[in-house]
Amino acid sequence: MPQLNEQANLNGDTPAEVDADVIVVRDLRKNYGELTAVDGLSFSVHAGETYGLLGPNGAGKTTTMRMLSGLSPVSSGKITVAGIDVIKDSRAVREVMGVVTQHDGLDGGLTVFQNLFLYGFLAGLTRQRAKDRAHEVLDFFSLRDRSKANVYELSGGMKRRLSIARSMMTSPSVIVMDEPTTGLDPQSRNRVWEELAVLKELGATVLLSTHYMEEATILCDRLLIMDHGKILDEGTPDQMIERHAPSEITQLRAEPAALRSVRDYLGERDIGYREVGALVSVTGANGDRPDLSGLTSVEGIRTTYRAGNLEDVFLAITGRELRDS
Amino acid sequence: MNIAIPTPGIRRRSVTGLWLRHAVAFVRYWKFVITWVLIEPVIALVAVGFGIGKLVTEVEGADTYAEFVTPGLIMGSAMFHALFETSWNAYNRIDNDVYETALTTPITVLEVTLGDISWAITRALMTTIGVAVVAAMLGWLDGWWAIGILIPAIMVGAMFGAMGFLFSAVAPHTTFLTLVFTLVATPLYFFSGSFFPISILPDWVEPIAWAMPLTPGVHVARGFGLGQFDTSHLWAGLYMVLLTALMWPAAVYLLKRRLIK
Repeated sequence: MPQLNEQANLNGDTPAEVDADVIVVRDLRKNYGELTAVDGLSFSVHAGETYGLLGPNGAGKTTTMRMLSGLSPVSSGKITVAGIDVIKDSRAVREVMGVVTQHDGLDGGLTVFQNLFLYGFLAGLTRQRAKDRAHEVLDFFSLRDRSKANVYELSGGMKRRLSIARSMMTSPSVIVMDEPTTGLDPQSRNRVWEELAVLKELGATVLLSTHYMEEATILCDRLLIMDHGKILDEGTPDQMIERHAPSEITQLRAEPAALRSVRDYLGERDIGYREVGALVSVTGANGDRPDLSGLTSVEGIRTTYRAGNLEDVFLAITGRELRDS
Repeated sequence: MNIAIPTPGIRRRSVTGLWLRHAVAFVRYWKFVITWVLIEPVIALVAVGFGIGKLVTEVEGADTYAEFVTPGLIMGSAMFHALFETSWNAYNRIDNDVYETALTTPITVLEVTLGDISWAITRALMTTIGVAVVAAMLGWLDGWWAIGILIPAIMVGAMFGAMGFLFSAVAPHTTFLTLVFTLVATPLYFFSGSFFPISILPDWVEPIAWAMPLTPGVHVARGFGLGQFDTSHLWAGLYMVLLTALMWPAAVYLLKRRLIK
């Protein structure tokens, strides 16, 4: 009978050697018949690090997360988590790893507290420990006053936070989160980010997938950008931006009447740009502000400048928008 | 560091945990569930026992029609409960990712079926005990042998618990599960020797009726209800074990295909 692994707590003293890579993925592949969802993925996550898989929908993020959690059979390759071979011993991995699946997967037949308790019990905690721990995580996620509520009474943000709370029941040394804030309103998203920042402070090793570049920028120490099941690049957010994005982007917010003039002007001078809605981002030569002096006479244009970001990185590597692809 | 838990084998914690989950959910909603566990089958029992019992004055093997029909009605109710648990309820757990969540803990799909089918058996036992107590008060079930009805109730619970998963594991939507009742439960309820002896059916229908999975349950339950046994009861018991042994692994296979992909 498995017992709570007290070694694996949030104080950073993971069972494996502290410097070791907690998650190691080598040449991971997943085929669904003809379709290759994950195509030779390799990466490592260090202890205490928050590592992001960034990519558009359909990039293979969820499939990768599911293979890590033992919820999807691996076609080929190798995954180790805390020194345990996921393919050979998926049960043992699930003992030490907290998983936040893409859908909350909350049990509508039970209360908030019972959801946590059941998860803890199934994971191997004693009844008393599961009870105590449920109260602890409810406090941490400020859900104590919702303890007796039915899960369907919760808001989307609360449900998400509860499902993250649930993954903390066993004080796991590794937490895997599949799109922790997808579908949340900005306020709830900020709340989740704050809480994940605290978890990081506490020393948790986190692997998360996301298609929000703000999320990746704010939370991740390192990340990889993937598309079509392949890694496009890997590094810290700053490194990636330095490598692939202009250091500064000029943004023109043009009124519909002015938009044509903007397009013509940029087109004639062969200045690279992209349009999202009525916002034109001008990606001039790296470091240099493109010469837009000819546009000053056009009415209805507001010009702002911003730093390059992961969105630009993704665009530069794939030629596609992260948000809309 | 010792965190290596052997993967094969059955982890008792998984099974008791899921059973406990169902028990807790049952207690939360008992006022609703009890109407089906007890009140609905008792209404059927009383209506058939008194109503049809007045018309039928002679039935093979039993003194009264009510005594004849009681074990059959009890098994029918046990079947409905077991089937419902692992078809409708299990489908909802698939659809709402409740199993997926459970599978992120150290649980296997086999253990999921063990936990859920053990709850299906529990429901079959609850309705069996409830209806049997009412029947005993009416004098339609008596003698110590009647306690033995718990045995076919467990067997029917396990068999139809496994069968329910064959539907929920492949169901594309809840409407599909209507088939559980239109194709399985309702025909079996009426053609498994509950209301009339199979021997009065046309000759060519008789073997078909005997092959139906609820028939052996009703047969064994009636043996206990009337306190009359012969070797046919043993064969009926073995037949139920065989059907369960065939359907359970199929249920695990299909559920695995649905959940681990």
